[in-house]
Amino acid sequence: MKNKSRRQFVKTIAAAGAGVLAAPLVSAKTAVAAKFRGRRDRDMGMLYDATMCIGCRSCEVACKQANRKPTEYDADGIWDAPKDLSAKTLTLVKLYKDDTAQSFVKRQCMHCVDPACVSGCPTSAMVKQPNGAVTWNADACVGCRYCQMGCPFNIPKYEFDSAYGRIVKCELCANNGYLEKGFTACSKACPTGAILFGRQKELLRTAKERIRDNPGRYVEKIYGEWDSGGTGVLYLASVPFERLGFPELPEYSSARISEGIQHTIYQHMIAPILIYFGLAFVAFRNTRSAHKQKED
Amino acid sequence: MAHVNAKPLGGKIFTTPVLLLLAGAAIGVFFLSVRYAHGIGAVSNLSDYMPWGIWKVLNVIVGAALVCGGYACAFTVYVFNQGHYHRYVRPALLLSLLGYSFAGLSLFYDVGRYWGLFNFMIPKYWQANSVLFEVGLCVMTYICVLCLEIAPAIIEKFLHGDGRLAQLLYKFYRLLDRFLFLIISFGILLPTMHQSGLGGLAVVMGQKISPLWQSPLVSLHHLVSCIAMGYGCVIVTELMVSEDYKIESHLAILSKLAKVMSRFMFVFLVLRLSEVLRTGAILQAFTPSVDSLSFWAEMVLIFGSIWLVRNDAARIVPRNIFLGSCLTMAAGSLYRINVYIIGFHPAPNVSYFPSVPELSISLGMICLQLALFITIIKTFPIIALERR
Ligand code: SF4
Ligand code: SF4
Ligand code: SF4
Repeated sequence: MKNKSRRQFVKTIAAAGAGVLAAPLVSAKTAVAAKFRGRRDRDMGMLYDATMCIGCRSCEVACKQANRKPTEYDADGIWDAPKDLSAKTLTLVKLYKDDTAQSFVKRQCMHCVDPACVSGCPTSAMVKQPNGAVTWNADACVGCRYCQMGCPFNIPKYEFDSAYGRIVKCELCANNGYLEKGFTACSKACPTGAILFGRQKELLRTAKERIRDNPGRYVEKIYGEWDSGGTGVLYLASVPFERLGFPELPEYSSARISEGIQHTIYQHMIAPILIYFGLAFVAFRNTRSAHKQKED
Repeated sequence: MAHVNAKPLGGKIFTTPVLLLLAGAAIGVFFLSVRYAHGIGAVSNLSDYMPWGIWKVLNVIVGAALVCGGYACAFTVYVFNQGHYHRYVRPALLLSLLGYSFAGLSLFYDVGRYWGLFNFMIPKYWQANSVLFEVGLCVMTYICVLCLEIAPAIIEKFLHGDGRLAQLLYKFYRLLDRFLFLIISFGILLPTMHQSGLGGLAVVMGQKISPLWQSPLVSLHHLVSCIAMGYGCVIVTELMVSEDYKIESHLAILSKLAKVMSRFMFVFLVLRLSEVLRTGAILQAFTPSVDSLSFWAEMVLIFGSIWLVRNDAARIVPRNIFLGSCLTMAAGSLYRINVYIIGFHPAPNVSYFPSVPELSISLGMICLQLALFITIIKTFPIIALERR
């Protein structure tokens, strides 16, 4: 009995292991394609062309106004000078500079096609809207900050200084009324047209045309075309994206791996239910034999 | 359930150690009031880059793994039909119930919007893709199951007497005993799900976790190690609160338990090593960094825990069993801290170390838990005693 159950046990572990290991690897890429076919045609997004940005930070100001966010003062107490994205600053223009090159880069939520924050959120507070915006719902959120742990770009921020903190992030202006009017505050404010707002499919086409028509001006990559399963905000730049602070990510979102495993194990709850009845049967037999032994 | 001769340990409740534990708890409660008045940032070093700290990792993730002895023992006794371990089931279940309740309680100060936690019970907010949702729901259900599993121990105290209440209780007691196998099966299925889920949480964090720990198998690593940790915790408790191990036959059982524990640790070691070899992440363990240091510390602990109870001769010495169990718990705990804190690199040059108030809250809650455990085993029939 003992040896048999041990062997059985090892077998079960091995089988579970193999299943868990194989499932996400074979299905991650195809799952991306299957699940998100068509999203690029429907979803709205933005294209930021770093070579056109003059670093005037009009977008920052417009974003603060649109979202009614307070100033983050510098040491002199006169300038709004945030150093990083925060619960008070949803978008930020940074400057990259080395001996040979320089580039501005605007950061905000990427509105991922397959967002890790949405996949992880336990109470459906983070939502991928039908128009592509990734939004946050105060009533649903428990403040677990799993979205922060999951987001590959470290975008969601939490108000750590408040007793009733909220999660704050760029919601593609879906939360402040601009998106309904057909634009985002930052893209509207940009004087040079470095931020385009539009349908992702068209933005992608524009980006490709710009690379084709301006040889040597851009690095040969549209950041966000595939990265982390694709993002709704796309980037063109003259400086390699790693240097602008973008992580190097696989062509699928970590959410695909996570959900792949989750769905393999819990598909229609069949496995858990079968295991439950198996356990109940074994436990029933064993408790009964224990009772009998006691009576004897 | 009644075939173990469990008795309350008796004795004074407010002994010096218990008072010290309560003092520790009081400090924690003081800082908790600051947290509720001024927010999480006022007491902790948590930040937008390191949003999960010791509250979640130590009190919830490590805590739940340490106390899963109820699961590990139920598994051995009822599935592998090893009835002679039966005497450990009750203390293990009590440890589990307390541990899980405190893990749940910890969430109420760790999460920012604690009133929203009830959303877990409202179907319109359910999010089936989320590992955290699955873990949350499983843990909540499991706490209820644990209450049912431990109920006979509490009821036994009130059975004597012949009032209507006692009769009613007796009926309930019989009913529980009769359908115990249904409850026990839940008590095995649910922990299997959420203990692996506690590891599965890491998967969506993708490349933010060092490849030394990130893996599609991270759930399996958590599951296998938590069982060993659960046994370890049961053994340590038994050695500390009961003198019975001085009887040879009981030491023999305890040493068998240690054997099972080390088997699981061995499987854990093989799984971990084969994974870092498969992905090639092992190379990173040879570049000097906090990560590699912590990786090797974890390996040494795992190896030490197996070595201490390596064969029957080693396992017959109570000190070896005790130390082996302690190392097992330490190894599993460090593994979890490695996954979620030390190996978590959201951006270059981000570091986190808990603040004093943050630590005080964590430790205060652990003190409170221990004080409660001691009080309960003194008052209720949990620990099996052969001689007094
Ligand atoms: S960038 Fe982060 S917060 Fe924004 S959608 Fe992607 S995962 Fe979510
Ligand atoms: S903090 Fe809120 S939005 Fe973020 S994952 Fe948790 S519940 Fe969802
Ligand atoms: S889309 Fe709206 S919220 Fe997002 S950065 Fe632009 S202005 Fe700010």
